[in-house]
Amino acid sequence: MTREPYIRRQRDEHGRKSVAVLPVHYPKELLTALDLLAVEVWGPPGAPRSDAAGRIQAYVCSVVRNALAFLASGGADVVDAALFPHTCDSIQQLATLASDFGGWKKPTLTFLHPKDPGRPSARRFLVAELHALAGRLEALAGRRLDPERLTAAIALHDEIDLHRAALLDGRATLPLDDRALYALLRRGEWLWPEEHLAELQAARAKLGTGRPAASIPVLVTGYVPEPSAILEILNGAGAFVAADDYAAVGRRVVRDRRAPATDPWEALADRQLAAPPCPTRVADQGPRMRHLEGLAERSGARGVLVHVVKFCEPELFDVPAIRRTFEARGIPLLYLEGELEAQLSGQAVTRIEAFVEMISGAGGAA
Amino acid sequence: MILRRVQYEAAARAVGPFLAALDDWRQRRRKRPARESPFAPPLESLRALKDMMMVHYLSGRYADGAVPVAWVTSGFPVEMLRTLGYHTVYPENHAAICGVQRIVPALSDAVEAQGYSRDLCSYVRSDLGSLDTGRSPVGRLPRPDLLACCTNICQTVLYWYRDLARRFDVPLVLIDTPFIYGEPAPHQTRYVVDQLEEAIVVSERVAKRPLDREAFSETVRLSREGSDLWGQCLDTARNRPAPWTGVDGFFHLGPVVALRGTEACNAYYRTLLDELKDRVSRGIGGLKGEERHRLLWDNLPVWYATREITTLLGSQGFNFVCTTYTNAWAEASSLIDPANPMESGARSYSQIMLNRDLPNKLRLLERLSREFAVDGAVLHSDRSCKPYSIGQIDLKDRLARDLGIRTLLLEADHNDPRSWASELAANRIGAFMESFS
Amino acid sequence: MSGAAAIGVDVGSTTCKVVAIDGTGALLDRRVEPTDPRIERQVERLVGEIRATAGRELPVGATGYGRKRVAGARALTEITCHARGAFARAGRAGTLVDMGGQDTKVIRIGPSGEVLDFAMNDKCAAGTGRFLEVILGRLQVPFEGLAELVAGASRPVPVSSTCTVFAESEVISLVASDEPLDGIVKGLHVALASRVAALARGVPAGDEILMSGGVALNGAMVASLREALSRPVRVLPDPQLTGAVGAALSVLPGPAPR
Ligand code: SF4
Ligand code: SF4
Repeated sequence: MTREPYIRRQRDEHGRKSVAVLPVHYPKELLTALDLLAVEVWGPPGAPRSDAAGRIQAYVCSVVRNALAFLASGGADVVDAALFPHTCDSIQQLATLASDFGGWKKPTLTFLHPKDPGRPSARRFLVAELHALAGRLEALAGRRLDPERLTAAIALHDEIDLHRAALLDGRATLPLDDRALYALLRRGEWLWPEEHLAELQAARAKLGTGRPAASIPVLVTGYVPEPSAILEILNGAGAFVAADDYAAVGRRVVRDRRAPATDPWEALADRQLAAPPCPTRVADQGPRMRHLEGLAERSGARGVLVHVVKFCEPELFDVPAIRRTFEARGIPLLYLEGELEAQLSGQAVTRIEAFVEMISGAGGAA
Repeated sequence: MILRRVQYEAAARAVGPFLAALDDWRQRRRKRPARESPFAPPLESLRALKDMMMVHYLSGRYADGAVPVAWVTSGFPVEMLRTLGYHTVYPENHAAICGVQRIVPALSDAVEAQGYSRDLCSYVRSDLGSLDTGRSPVGRLPRPDLLACCTNICQTVLYWYRDLARRFDVPLVLIDTPFIYGEPAPHQTRYVVDQLEEAIVVSERVAKRPLDREAFSETVRLSREGSDLWGQCLDTARNRPAPWTGVDGFFHLGPVVALRGTEACNAYYRTLLDELKDRVSRGIGGLKGEERHRLLWDNLPVWYATREITTLLGSQGFNFVCTTYTNAWAEASSLIDPANPMESGARSYSQIMLNRDLPNKLRLLERLSREFAVDGAVLHSDRSCKPYSIGQIDLKDRLARDLGIRTLLLEADHNDPRSWASELAANRIGAFMESFS
Repeated sequence: MSGAAAIGVDVGSTTCKVVAIDGTGALLDRRVEPTDPRIERQVERLVGEIRATAGRELPVGATGYGRKRVAGARALTEITCHARGAFARAGRAGTLVDMGGQDTKVIRIGPSGEVLDFAMNDKCAAGTGRFLEVILGRLQVPFEGLAELVAGASRPVPVSSTCTVFAESEVISLVASDEPLDGIVKGLHVALASRVAALARGVPAGDEILMSGGVALNGAMVASLREALSRPVRVLPDPQLTGAVGAALSVLPGPAPR
């Protein structure tokens, strides 16, 4: 993995330990405050790295199967621990399978999201769970969590989100193709946050200086933009991602600009709860649909691309509601399922291109 | 009045799959008289079971309007609802009846047309499809006033119940049970206790009456006793030959799932236990012929093919003597303490197998294997149920290695026959049986 | 052939189709061959033949999975081209079911021949012509007389598996248990038609369905589809050429013909 030399340098030059993190949501601020580097593992995409994928049935999503193969192949041996957020039934089982039955030998951390977080019990639990995770991370880092550093980490990630939101929301005035934009945004999955911030700031200077080459705005909602060829095909056909609701990207950008609570733990809990509605946390469909409608409206999207991972129940459960929502607004929708394959199938390419031809009116007149 | 109440208690709980399954069984037997059944004559208790469920199912039709109705997940701490006088419906059971009757493809088609993926749990597709098409083998389910969902079996049920809440526009109470890696942390148990309290408030409001804590305690006692009695029934199969088959267990499970916490449920299991003990003392087995090999079953039943699978095995002297599925209800309420129902309930309902890590499941499998002296295990790899199925490949290898028993991973879906290849399965099962000789 | 105005190429996964049309969209010339893996050479040859007959350079439109490998052509997807081709041939808007070897598509066509919506089968072969081909081959049922065989069957024997592999073993066991062959074949068609009907969800009731693609030549499939969708199904003339005609239409100079 190309990230490996980076992780080693972080350790050698800054004495930072690192933690592999499985999708999707986790309190990254805690890691930053403890000087721990988070390195996210979204599969990884492509063919499984070892035959350990065969230890999980083929009807389970490729994120989980690939992750086991990756861990078991030693792909993440450079890090010091792995964090498994409770994203879905499959990741929850992966956490115990890999650490108890083979594949992952280093410390395993877990983080549970309370469901229906509006309840007082859920809020209390969230704060307690954050404390519990912090305890495990302190042991890993070999130091105490300093509340001031936590406050600073929260402010840092707040600022990162500010820039990410600006880039995503001002997308139409950014002279970058989608592949370049996503590469930039997704480097945040493993860069030390301050370095990521510097890159974002540099990119932000380009806002308002041009436009993407493609001209037809679409809204994309789904899990993770893999394979990235999907972006090229989209751009090549004349469309670009004008609004993003990928779990890996837009759904983790907190746009809540209220002043943070003075108690850092409360502020941290607030940030967890302020992220856009995500089905992996079983967000209510009402607010989620309003969120998607807002994205479509602000971006002027002419079509919606739903791009999910096959067998992913959390995402799949919301698809009927998404269909209903955009059907009612007369916005065409393309549904695309993938298995983190390295290449896009010919049929998928045809679907995307036909969709863009359809929403752009190409072929309607000679 | 009291009599009516008793009748209601006996009748007005959700319908179990066994009724339909039994009918189905009888029909099949009628249709194919040529194929000799390898099973011993049915248990006498079947009649009582059938009557109980029949009354129950009929009265269910009149429940809405008369009493508050709750739709409940199989792992929900139902004792509070029982005490508040709710009529409870178990959509999972209803879905299983649809599975036994093989109408799931039609139901699923209806929801697939709205964009529900075929990769979603087939219970969900069956249930929502039944609501959309109005097709149900039991006629009609009473409309819910409350939805009660506990995530101790999976996260899937929460997506399912959210959908129901939108359709019916009624409150949803949630018991979100943190998954237990190793031992439960105190803040996790506290969270569940807090939620039980919150759930009671909502359930009281909907039922328009306060929870009588003394009566609650009594329900909890009955519930625990029911779980114990069920466990004792299952344990009779430790004898050789086992007095019944694992499949019988799938059917007789009905009351402890749907009527747990009632005296009627417990009375039924006392009768059943007596009969099973009697069979044991007389050396009568679940198979007509010799019980040559004893098997463990893991995961949900393959509802539409249970007979097919067990007949194939039974005709060669293979009998299922224990299943992790039926065992789950012997565990469900086993830790509840009537003196401290909240705290102990939180623990008990959090510690069921599906909410715990794989080493715990391995210990359970090994314990069952030893206690029931099995020499083989069939692990149903259920396309629909990821929490139950992930890990089975390793579990299978460990069982084979640690206990030296023969194992088979059987690919299927518990409710959707479109994922079932009868011939291929028969081949796999045939090869599995040959491996014993 | 002096009236030829445009060439259309449809490079499908099984067959390669090349057509010439005149300025009104009428079909003048055609070439149909099994697709050669060396697509470029094959297309060059076939287009060359048609050009030679026409006696002059003509604009080329290309579609099908090999569309980007057709030199000098305007490439558009099968969806757009089938809509245009079907619109021109039927002379009206509507819903098109196109069943080819590898793909089944359902396309809703708007009042000026534009695509309003479309759906395709997922990547496995269930729901495509290939499914039928494999299993009929296994049963050794010839294509000739298929429609009569199915029409004569008293009742369909239900085939529940939709996966080609599973269905194959299911069908074999049905044969082994002495179910009537015509009923099994009918059952297969019914199963396939229901897959297609699922794709066609949301089609306005009462609409006549247009049908194209090689499978449209199978009368038994047309009849099963008619039943599954419970509405009339009209097979377009030269159904397997619809995409190629649409590709040619897309490069026709001047306003699109009605
Ligand atoms: S893709 Fe879906 S099912 Fe797979 S790990 Fe992610 S959330 Fe879970
Ligand atoms: S079958 Fe599995 S996934 Fe479906 S509701 Fe039951 S536990 Fe959940």
